[in-house]
Amino acid sequence: MTVPMTAGSQAADDYVLRVENLGKVYGGAVALRDVSLAIRRGSIHGLLGENGAGKSTLVGIMSGQRQPTTGTIYLDGVALGHADVPSMEEAGVFLVTQEPMIIDHLSAAENLMLGIWPRRFGFVNWRKLRKDAARMLAGTGIDLDRPAGKLDAVARRKLNILRAMFSGGKVIILDEPTAALTVEDRQQLFDFMRRLKADGVTFIFISHYNDEILDICDAVSVLRDGILAGGSEDVGSLTSAQLSELVLGRGLVLFQRERREFAEDAPAVQLRDVVGPSVRVPALDIRPGEVVGFTGLPGAGAKELARCIFGLTPVQSGTIRFADETETHKLPTHPRDAFESGIAFLSDDRRRDGAIGQMSIGANISLSSLASVARSGFLSKDAELKLSDRYFAAMGIKAPSAAVAVDTLSGGNQQKVCLGRVLATGPRVLILDEPTRGIDVGVKQDVLRIVDELSRTGVAVIIVSTDTDEITRAVDRVCIFENGAIARELTGSEITNDRLRGLEPS
Amino acid sequence: MSRTMTVAAKTASPAGAAPTAKEGGRSALGWVLHNVVWIWLIALVVIFGLFNQFFFTVNNMQNIMVQATVLGMLGLAVALPLLVAEIDLSLPANLGFSSAIGAMAYSDWGLPWFPGMLVGVGVATFIGFFNGLCITKLRMVSLIQTLSMMIILQGALLALTQGRTITNLSDGYVWIGQATIGGWPIMPFIFVIALVGVGILLSNTVFGRRVYAVGGNPVASNSAGIRVDRVKILTYTLAGFLAGCAGFLLASWQMAITSNQGSSYLLYAIAAPIIGGVSVFGGRGNVVGVLGGVLLLTVIQVGLAIISVPSFYVGIIGGFMIFIAVAIDAIRVRYFS
Ligand SMILES: Nc1ncnc2c1ncn2[C@@H]1O[C@H](COP(=O)(O)OP(=O)(O)OP(=O)(O)O)[C@@H](O)[C@H]1O
Ligand SMILES: [Mg+2]
Repeated sequence: MTVPMTAGSQAADDYVLRVENLGKVYGGAVALRDVSLAIRRGSIHGLLGENGAGKSTLVGIMSGQRQPTTGTIYLDGVALGHADVPSMEEAGVFLVTQEPMIIDHLSAAENLMLGIWPRRFGFVNWRKLRKDAARMLAGTGIDLDRPAGKLDAVARRKLNILRAMFSGGKVIILDEPTAALTVEDRQQLFDFMRRLKADGVTFIFISHYNDEILDICDAVSVLRDGILAGGSEDVGSLTSAQLSELVLGRGLVLFQRERREFAEDAPAVQLRDVVGPSVRVPALDIRPGEVVGFTGLPGAGAKELARCIFGLTPVQSGTIRFADETETHKLPTHPRDAFESGIAFLSDDRRRDGAIGQMSIGANISLSSLASVARSGFLSKDAELKLSDRYFAAMGIKAPSAAVAVDTLSGGNQQKVCLGRVLATGPRVLILDEPTRGIDVGVKQDVLRIVDELSRTGVAVIIVSTDTDEITRAVDRVCIFENGAIARELTGSEITNDRLRGLEPS
Repeated sequence: MSRTMTVAAKTASPAGAAPTAKEGGRSALGWVLHNVVWIWLIALVVIFGLFNQFFFTVNNMQNIMVQATVLGMLGLAVALPLLVAEIDLSLPANLGFSSAIGAMAYSDWGLPWFPGMLVGVGVATFIGFFNGLCITKLRMVSLIQTLSMMIILQGALLALTQGRTITNLSDGYVWIGQATIGGWPIMPFIFVIALVGVGILLSNTVFGRRVYAVGGNPVASNSAGIRVDRVKILTYTLAGFLAGCAGFLLASWQMAITSNQGSSYLLYAIAAPIIGGVSVFGGRGNVVGVLGGVLLLTVIQVGLAIISVPSFYVGIIGGFMIFIAVAIDAIRVRYFS
């Protein structure tokens, strides 16, 4: 009698978290159907799948953030009734959501300790809070007293990640934590995860990067259209191509741009004397049809320069000159001026300054091109529909129609909406900050292909990215930023993944 | 390794489709809750009518519509700043102050009544514009800035009238408040025109689209090439203009301007759009909802008067009726969106 019981509890003990027959319906749309999955204690469990496959929904349910329509969650073999975030955190399950969850007016330190404040006699122990926060932020370069609203997208994400890592939780779920992180940051995160894993912490790790899954995960599960499409307990035996095939249900052809040399052509844009907060670029020319990659550590100037060109960050000085114009202009002071002169920009933080969540997909796509679909201030519904439908289709946005709110889309699909809005303006200079952030492997190739095709029509493109693989595949030239300036440039065959990762001297 | 799992999932999919049947019932309930203001409105009309037959008479319907006009104009005005996630508490005070200016331009400065009225509406519009400037360029908090503006304007009205009621309004000025066509008062037509005008502005123009965008996410709107400050200033200006028109209509209808003209509208003018589904967090709401909210509040007021509820109870019963509408709406937002 006692023997099977022990065996049973031991089996349960093997799996720290288990879900059975999980289903989730949003409105009328089925996001998950009948998913059963068990997470082995002390393992790093990868979760893969296309955009909208249901990954965030699944981990949302596991962490109490969303409520399942059907099915049961077992924690340590015990079925949970109603689960919400505080009770799951109490039980040791922490989720780092795909979009930064940050309270803008609180300091970095307070955000870090949100809900897990050190207490003393029922009051928040501020001294300990600051001390702990300082320890957690050591080496990240984030100032603990800075209001979180003033931090950039990457720093905001790091706050969420660090909060979970230091929470003392036994299950930590990371929903695309590495999107837009630098190579060093990723390595640091992985080292951290391995250390915690050695202490018995279990991880669920969502990522669109196959190499990361292969690098760090012990087991992997793949979702496709809300169904568990497969998985493996032995990640070591898999290749990247096999993973892609499992995700997409078909083979994947990786995109590679045919690089061109542009030195001879007259530049499409000439930037001169750009001096802004933490950027100083005396001169930069981009030829028509050229795709230039900007890369560097956070704060080194790549993102900053992009935002200056678009008029989002005020500059002390700086001029721009287009190929077909004789006069030079000051850099735009407002995004509106930038759009009007043909410069378009995609932000790296879609939640904060990418999409209007409560508006429809169509209205978001046309938002930066309203003048082109209106006559004397009145919108032409036909013209707008034509424009939004075109980019809705071109971007392959997974949604019932272009009339649904962007809020209801998966992260990657929201990114496609933002990209569609920017492309719809028909720019001659296109600046994309982390364009494929959160986009799945299949669509990523499509996006790079679209950019490639656009560049063939003479558009000058800047891609700001920390994804070295993306840079290698998509650009003709790379500008590497250090201390606010362009420190080095690589062209043609000099552009290799290893060199960009700093594994090979340049 | 994936084969068996895929098969298992396939067989399970018919079960997964089951919730769609349940969705039907849920969406019907959702529809009811979505239109709760209108259903509640009809229910109240029927209830009041059962209590007192007079409620159903044409005369009373006309009365309701006339009463709804001023509140409606003001409700539209209040809705505009709400849509860009700001608020303007000074609008009812603006209504009173600007109408007094308009009346005095006629009585004290010797202008003909029509230009005098235009001066009043112009002042109201300018006050709206000024509020918009303070909130965008000076980054003042709209709640406090417009609260102080409300106090200033109420005080200014009192100073201007010296506590007396202005009654020497010209015949031309009071005409619109009294005129009828075929027995129907024309005041409500002005409201309908304003309603349609603002409705078209919000849903068919570039400006309207920008209003919703700014209310939904100002930072993203800025990055999308929208001059957020300009949009906000314009909504405040337009709100001021509507309040000015409401001020003219109220004075014309009452044939008088009291020393606290408009102040009693404050809470109702804010409640009406919110009851009608205009979100205080911005970016949500439309004129049809505002109309529903306005009619609901007016029917409650008129209805309680007609069924002769003792005046000591009018406040508490009216308050509860509004509470119910808002509570049902909150339930809708909580469970159906
Ligand atoms: N709040 C919501 N309302 C309605 N539908 C939703 C909502 N959230 C998600 N969905 C839908 O559920 C499906 C799964 O979304 P989910 O966010 O889980 O995808 P994901 O696998 O995390 O994708 P991504 O890689 O893009 O982040 C999508 O089709 C999405 O449109
Ligand atoms: Mg997701």
